[in-house]
Amino acid sequence: MTEQKLQKFICTNCGYVYDPANGDVMSHVPPGTAFEHLPEGWVCPVCYVTTDQFDPVD
Amino acid sequence: MKPALASLYQAIELRQPIPPLLIGERMNANGSKRFRDRLLADDWAGCVEIGVEQEKRGAHVLDVCVAYAGRDEKHDMLELVRRLAGTVKLPLMIDSTTPEVIEAALQIYPGRCIVNSINLEDGGAYLRRVCALLKKYGAAAVALTIHKGGMAMQAPEKIATARQILDIACGEFGMRPQDLLFDALTFTIGAGDETLRDSALQTLEGIRGIKAALPGVGCVLGLSNISFGLAPASRKILNSVFLHEAVLAGLDAAIVDAGSILPLAKIDVADRETCHNLLFDKHTDADKKPLTLFIEHFQAKAGTTPEKANADAEAKKPAEIALTDRIIEGSKEGLEDLLEILMRRMPPVEIINRILIPAMREVGELFGRGELLLPFVLQSAEAMKRAVTLLEPHMPAVQEGHATKILLATVQGDVHDIGKNLVDIILTNNGYKVFNLGIKVPAEVIIEKARELKPDLIGLSGLLVKSALVMKESMRQYREAALGAPILLGGAALTRKFVALDCAPDYDHPVVYCADAFAGLQAVRDFEAGKLRSTTFDTAGAAPLKPGLKNLEIDRNQPVPAPPFLGFRHVRDIPLAEVFPYVNTEALFRGRWGYRRAKLTAEDYEKILAEKVRPLYARLQHDSVSEGLLQPQAAYGYFRCFARDDEVVVRDGQNEYVFGFPRQGAPPHLCIADFFKTEAEGGDIAGFFVVTIGAQLGERTQKLFESNQYHDYLMLHGFGTEVTDALAEYWHAVMRHELGIAGSEPATKAGFVTQDYQGSRYGFGYPACPDLGAQLPVFALLKPDALGITLTENMQMVPEFTTSAIVAHHPQAKYFAV
Ligand code: B12
Ligand SMILES: [Zn+2]
Repeated sequence: MTEQKLQKFICTNCGYVYDPANGDVMSHVPPGTAFEHLPEGWVCPVCYVTTDQFDPVD
Repeated sequence: MKPALASLYQAIELRQPIPPLLIGERMNANGSKRFRDRLLADDWAGCVEIGVEQEKRGAHVLDVCVAYAGRDEKHDMLELVRRLAGTVKLPLMIDSTTPEVIEAALQIYPGRCIVNSINLEDGGAYLRRVCALLKKYGAAAVALTIHKGGMAMQAPEKIATARQILDIACGEFGMRPQDLLFDALTFTIGAGDETLRDSALQTLEGIRGIKAALPGVGCVLGLSNISFGLAPASRKILNSVFLHEAVLAGLDAAIVDAGSILPLAKIDVADRETCHNLLFDKHTDADKKPLTLFIEHFQAKAGTTPEKANADAEAKKPAEIALTDRIIEGSKEGLEDLLEILMRRMPPVEIINRILIPAMREVGELFGRGELLLPFVLQSAEAMKRAVTLLEPHMPAVQEGHATKILLATVQGDVHDIGKNLVDIILTNNGYKVFNLGIKVPAEVIIEKARELKPDLIGLSGLLVKSALVMKESMRQYREAALGAPILLGGAALTRKFVALDCAPDYDHPVVYCADAFAGLQAVRDFEAGKLRSTTFDTAGAAPLKPGLKNLEIDRNQPVPAPPFLGFRHVRDIPLAEVFPYVNTEALFRGRWGYRRAKLTAEDYEKILAEKVRPLYARLQHDSVSEGLLQPQAAYGYFRCFARDDEVVVRDGQNEYVFGFPRQGAPPHLCIADFFKTEAEGGDIAGFFVVTIGAQLGERTQKLFESNQYHDYLMLHGFGTEVTDALAEYWHAVMRHELGIAGSEPATKAGFVTQDYQGSRYGFGYPACPDLGAQLPVFALLKPDALGITLTENMQMVPEFTTSAIVAHHPQAKYFAV
């Protein structure tokens, strides 16, 4: 069985890429956290925009 | 006596020995662009020429319609009737619905006219008024089968309406039935509208019924309506076949483009049959409708290319749907023709209310669902604006007083106007009157303008955190000024919570948070419906998370790099080839330009990028270089400094400048001053820069906005924004090299986003150093004035595409929010 790769998301304001494989250590988001499962109130660690400003990216 | 019309030169019988009587339709300000252009240019000889042409093409009578908004119909009618009376042999049909115009024309015409038209739309008042004139001047008339409930669609209804008109015209006014030509109305069967599928049949039945039930009267038709929406070549054939059928049914006269009627003998049998099936709604194929067969038949005949077939498929759409599609697609193609077709069916205001606004609403909904990208929304707005501009001359100018008025402004100290301008576009295009006061507008000016212009609502925009505070603080001022209008607040710095808890309580009318322009539109609609309420917020919500490590120890032993020089320098010729590679294309494409992938597949998104976005970017790069729109320049320098609590004290010769920075209220309680050594630690080095791409690009974007080219405006503006940012990124890299701390530069562009280099730069006005007042000492240190960069009293840098920052070399210095 192959593991489903989680979708990466990019911040449309600054270009920061949220890669679920890495999580967001700065905001205590553990690796393996899907974008959809980011904690309520999570914002872009670079420019602080909210998740609705993110776009899927490969 | 046989009913006839007459000019100075000749009499023409209303019943031609070989019917029909052909009434030339080309002198119509609404139906013929050629005529309209000449009319608007007061080219009377040119107008008359169109009459003469029709005479040559075989017309028996000339229809004259000069009603055009903004012009004096009576004056134009008299001018033209006088000239035609002397130069063309044919008698005239006075085409107007204004009794004064009709009377004036009848008075001066030296012959016997026919008036187009009378009807029962208002129940009889208009009919009686015109009938009195007809009788007085002995004129004939076209009578449309329109009654109080609208246009008669079914044959029995057409016949009944004709009878009512006859009863009044002949019964009450003593007109002769022979002088009435009833128009049983033609609707298009070329548009695929199911409800009109049998409308040709109903019209033919109507003619037959009217002739049978009302002895003596005549029948007339506006012929070309029947085939609206079809390809031109097939239209001609269908019109001719329909005319033939109508004459068989008893038609006496037809309003047509005289030269475009083909004798039946010239139409081949297969064509004729295809037309018959369509006209009589005869289904000869189990799967295909007569309309489909018709289109296929004439396409095959023309040996149509796929391209042309497409155009035909396009052409068969009802004009309403085609117009809606244009708006949603943001295409201006063929708008003029579509509007012209639609204006024959409904007044311009109806076109706006029933087609354009719903289409724009749909655009808004698609945008809201993430199915339509921002650049396309702007193209739609442009198409909408174009359509409205085309309709405007046809609309009565009184509207102004009724439209809801909105005053828009970006608040004091804030230059961000793209969002506010978008709101302007959307509201204006929805028929509202917008007063756009521009950017950096102080509360005092807003109050003054509100008193002068008396808007129904006030919309304020602000994107800086500082602007949110400005809004909050001015609420009381607005209340004291008793503005009396609800206030809409928008812009990225605002939240629903802030508006509800910090702004609304201080004002005595609704204060409403608008997340986007369409929320603004909704608010205006709510206001009109009397249900606009202040934004509320449920305080039980969760507190937002602040990113960043909670425990961070700043290393105090970091060596201070040696600056290449102390003081400032100006660099005037920065090669663009060095700057472009730093452009953050992801932020440009997805953010500034709004080309988000959203729900597209990776392949489809790549396709858009490859076909549209990257070529656009390449073009803008090329054009901006060749047209000299970019003049990248920098003022920068290195200065001795030291940290003192939350301040950084900068020394430049004898002068000392103090920069105060806020400290985070929560762990790790960071402040920019932490990244610099104190005086006791030996002091430090701070870098500063101001970079600009010059004034040209800003001037160009301004022009684009002013000429309603919203799409190009946003594209060029976004490009300028990101090139400015790239210039800052590039110059920051140059400074790292000069400081000798460029040992670990990012390998990829993404690495620049996450600052995978040593140190950081902080822009003034950004979260870690929000105080724009710090621009003053920056300007004192770097003297960018010599490069043409100035500071307004609100601390805005001019030109617009300019950015400034303080540069820290400490490896732990990264972005953070306070
Ligand atoms: C373009 C831009 C600029 C351009 C502005 C050009 C212009 N003519 O507008 C330039 C380059 C000049 C600029 C300059 C600066 N900028 Co700037 N800029 C932006 C950027 C990238 C995009 C803003 C934008 O146009 N968005 C697109 C429009 C369509 O969206 P919008 O404005 O939000 O509007 C929508 C809604 O909010 C709503 N809406 C907005 N207003 C209203 C009003 C009403 C009545 C209604 C109903 C609705 C409504 O409807 C709109 C459409 O749906 C943002 C980042 C961002 N993502 O917001 C930063 C940003 C706003 N800028 C920022 C800063 C700090 C600056 C500068 C101080 C930088 C510097 N050091 O030089 C300067 C100074 C500006 C000043 N004093 O005002 C910060 C603000 C930080 C903060 N929160 O305080 C931001 C957030 C970037 C960041 N992440 O740090 N900027
Ligand atoms: Zn971001």
